Order: sequence, then C-alpha cells, then structure tokens
Amino acid sequence: MTSLTKNAVEIHHLVKRFGQVTAVDDVSLSVADGEFLTFLGSSGSGKTSTLFIVAGFEDPTSGSVEIDGRSVLSVPPNERNIGMVFQRYTLFPNMSVRDNIAFPLSVRGRPQNEIDRAVAEMLDMVRLGSYAGRRPSELSGGQQQRVALARALVYRPRLLLMDEPLAALDKRLREDIQQEIRRIHRELGVTILYVTHDQEEALRMSDRIAVFSHGKIAQIGSGSDLYERPANGFVASFVGNSNMLRGRLRGVSERMASVELADGTVLHGLSDANLIHGTQVEIMVRPERLIPSSSRAGDLTSLQSVEGTVIDVSYLGEAVQYEIATRWQQNIVVRNDSRASGLELGASAHFSFHVHDALVFPTQPSAS
Amino acid sequence: MPALVFLFLFLVLPLSSLFLVSVTEPSLGLGNYAKLLGDAAYGRVLFNTFFVAGVVTCVTLVIGYPVAWLLAILPARTAHLLMAAILLSMWTNLLARTYGWMVLLQRTGIINRTLIDLGLINEPLPLINNLFGVTIGMTYIMLPYVILPLHATLSGIDPAIMQAAAITGAKPRQIFWRILLPLSLPGIGAGCLMVFVMALGYYVTPALLGGTANMMLAEMIAQQVQSLLNWGLGSAAAFILLAVTLVFFAIYVRVVGLGKRS
Repeated sequence: MTSLTKNAVEIHHLVKRFGQVTAVDDVSLSVADGEFLTFLGSSGSGKTSTLFIVAGFEDPTSGSVEIDGRSVLSVPPNERNIGMVFQRYTLFPNMSVRDNIAFPLSVRGRPQNEIDRAVAEMLDMVRLGSYAGRRPSELSGGQQQRVALARALVYRPRLLLMDEPLAALDKRLREDIQQEIRRIHRELGVTILYVTHDQEEALRMSDRIAVFSHGKIAQIGSGSDLYERPANGFVASFVGNSNMLRGRLRGVSERMASVELADGTVLHGLSDANLIHGTQVEIMVRPERLIPSSSRAGDLTSLQSVEGTVIDVSYLGEAVQYEIATRWQQNIVVRNDSRASGLELGASAHFSFHVHDALVFPTQPSAS
Repeated sequence: MPALVFLFLFLVLPLSSLFLVSVTEPSLGLGNYAKLLGDAAYGRVLFNTFFVAGVVTCVTLVIGYPVAWLLAILPARTAHLLMAAILLSMWTNLLARTYGWMVLLQRTGIINRTLIDLGLINEPLPLINNLFGVTIGMTYIMLPYVILPLHATLSGIDPAIMQAAAITGAKPRQIFWRILLPLSLPGIGAGCLMVFVMALGYYVTPALLGGTANMMLAEMIAQQVQSLLNWGLGSAAAFILLAVTLVFFAIYVRVVGLGKRS
C-alpha cells in the first residue's frame, strides 16, 4: 500500500497492555510530513502511552511504528532522531541555558563553531538570547519550556513530540507559547505530534486532531471536522460545548432522523449512524446555534425550536450564556453574542435552530 | 540557652581540658605535636589512617553507587526489601559483624580453605591482621553510610530528565557522565565525607582485623592512653584527628554546601 503523499509516521494496530489494563487498543494512524497532529483525550485515554511508544520509552505489546517507512521499534530512543518536550520541566539543572541547548549537538560530537551558531539561532528563535548564561532554576516555567523546545529542535529532528508541554502554565502564558509553537512550526515545517487534554488548545494549534477514548481513536480529523461533524456522541461532547437532548427515535429517512423527547416534542436532526427505531438517542445542538425568539419557529421545515425558561444568566464578555429549563426536565445551555437581545432571568422563550445544526447519535453507555 | 549550657558543659569543657593536656604533659609546649608529625613511626600511623580511610571511601562509593541507583529505580516493593537488608546489616552489632569477618578471613577461614580445596592456592593468603583485612571489614560496615545519602539524592532526580537526555541523542554513557553523575555530586560528597571522617577515627574494626605492625590513629590513641598512660601524646593525636576532620568538613561545605544550593 504505497501512497503518493509522503508520511512521516505510520502507526499500525498499536496495542499496549499493562497487566490487565489495555492502555492503547488497536491504534492506527498516519502523520503527513510537516503536519501538526494532536492527540486529544482525558487522562488514561492512551494518548500519552502512544506518544511514549513513538519516543521509544515504552515497547508496544503488538503493532508497529514506522518513521519514514522504517520500523523504529528496535531502535533505542537516542537513535530515533526525535525531539521531545515533556510535561514536567526536564532541563538539565547542572547546565546553563546555553549548555542545555548545546547538549544534543555536543553529544553528537559536532564542532564547536557549528554548535555555537546553532545555539545562537535557537536562542533567537525562542527569544531568550539574553538568558543564555542563566541556570534553569533562574527561569520561569514558560521560559524553561521554551528552552526545552529549543533543545528539542536544535539538532533538526525528524519529528517533534510534545507531551502536554503547557499544562503547568497559566492561561495567558499558555496562549503566548501556543502562538510561538505555531510560528515555529510554520517557520521550520517540522512534523509535530502534540498531546493535550485541552480541547481549546487542540483546536487552536493543530492541522488534525485524533480524539482518544479508552485507548482507541474515537475520531481523527481537522478541528472543524470534529466540531461540525463529530463521528459519535463522545466526540460531540468532548470537543466544544454541546447540548445532548435525550429522546426516542421515531424514524429515519434520507439521513434525517425524527426524535421524540420525553414531553412529546418532536425534533429533527442529521444522522450517519445506524439507528434503530424506538431506541434511546441523543440530539446534539451546539449552544451558539440556538437562537432566542419570542415565538415558535415558523413552518419552515428546516427550522425548529424548543421552549424553555431562563434559570441562569452568565455574562462572559464576548458572549452571554443562558441556562434554560425545558419542559422535558433537562436543562440546556444557550450562548449568544452579548449584544444580541438580552433575556431576563425567568423569561420564557423559544430557541430555534436549523435541522442541519442538530446531529443524532445513539445514546452512549453511561459508563464512559 | 539550655542547649548552649549543655554544649559548654559536655563539649567545650572536655575538649578544652583535653587540649590543655596535649600541650602541658609531659612538659609545656607543642612537643607532643612535633613528635607526632615529625617522628617516622607516628608518621606511618597517620599515613595508614589516611590511606585506609581513602581506600575505604573509594571502594564504598564504587560499590554503593550502583546499589543506591538500583534502590531509586526498582519498583517500590523490591526497593523496600533491598533497603531493609541494608538497614538490617547496619543495625546488627558491630562486634558480631567484625567477628564474622574474622571467621571468613583467618588463615583457616572459609575463604582460604575453599581456595586451597579448589587447588587455586597452596598457602593461605594473608587476609587478616593487616590493612587488607581492615579495609574489607570497614568497607562492609561503611557501605550504608554512602548508600543512604546517595539514595536520597538519586531518588530526588526526576527520571524524565534522563529520558529527555536520551531522546536528544545522548548514549547511556554520556547520560551518566554528563547528567547523572553531576546531579548526584551532593550525595557523593555527603556520603564520602561521612565515610571518610568515620573511617579516620575508627577503632573496633582496625583493632580486631588489623595487625600490630600497621596501626591506625584511633588504635594508637587507645594504646597511648590505656597502656602507656601517655595522656599528652594521646590527646595531641586526638586533636590532629579533630583538626583534619574539620578541614574536610570545611571543604565539603565549600564545595557542596550545607543545605540546598539556591
């Protein structure tokens, strides 16, 4: 199976078991050359285990990892030509910033003038030129991770792995460094595998995102794929905010499902899944796709509405968020531009949405 | 305040009177010190003391480092067992352990007997009543004192730092020399200082496993005071030992620091 596009990394049927626990359960994916691919998932979803197998710190139970078409499973980490930034601060405390960045070239026995040039270039890239002589303990967390990034890139690795590198930083700093990583990715064109549990970070940075759940990939695609066309209820609720309205399937025709809610309201939504008539299903509607209106939506077949009472109003700056109690005993969330018509606490209103903004999924097992 | 009184009564006072003895008996002046540092026989004792302490320190470090590293990386259960074995040996009576070595090392001991039975040697090796026996016995006894501080230092080093070094391309040998060893220097310093200083003043093991020909300082002090009743010379020797110990401690504080380096 040779493809025309060159893949940097190919992972086939990767499995990793720790005793009885299956951390990685038959994961297959390919990473294109120069791509920024993020593994998104909660802790224990298998994303970090997969990354550590690619790095060579863990051996898989079965499956294969290929970099540029060659299996790397028998290659020790130090010969894989991979760069990595860890969640914890891993700068060498006994060395200055300059020596930390020089270390990968120095262990390769490169000539000193080449090392000096490359280190200066990297310090420039992460904008820490004036910190070259400092010890890691004299740097802030954000600065340490930028030095770690420089150290991981100074030897031009084939692949850069990042294991939640910004998890320990506060929000503002995190966004600054996210920008910086994106800029560096654009400038160097290095292939990046990025692990995070933060869906906002994943959406902001990645070309594609692989959503991990219980050791499997629930869906892989671009941010808008995951947001607009989630493959299942798990991805729909994990990526972005969503309302999952519970109901019973009444029928499907040409991908359009009709669902009856507990109070008898019937709503329509798109569905790709094989749904069984009469089973429990969920209709997903994003909070910002619900538009308040004083009256029930017209007879237009593509527009429908639900009715409810405002029980909470939160002003969020650019948006205002309402919590709505519905007649079928399920609260939903509505989010609108804060300049749009304001609803008072206790007000009763209709919330209309397009049928194409509603997706119908089989109800997930509650054990998730 | 009570602590100061305590220190004065039980440390400063006896030490001062000991010092007075060393410069007044048998006659006023530094005669005892001149004798100890000038006389070849006493010089030999000083040399033996430093030589044995140095060798014991080096050997315990070489043996203790891998053990401390093992303790740091083994799964908790196995590490606890290993630690228990080390502590148990430390808590066993010193005399019992030293007599144990006598049984093993003597002319008709297990080691010599086995080697002769195997036909590897004809005559028993002189393993005891010399500095070789002293070194073996003291190395065994000092091991925990180098393992424990090293273990504390090594288990404080984040393993992710080694992983980070490996992924950048460093070979295991390079990781050891350039990352792990420099980071374990505080533990090495603390362990070596402890062993070296303890070894300098060690008495029981050299007295039992050593020979009369190659005495160590503590033995000589005991001999001077107990057998020859030469309190002046014995006190002077004790002060030389104290001074040397303080010098090494000062070096240690200078290089490694007492607490955490900022």
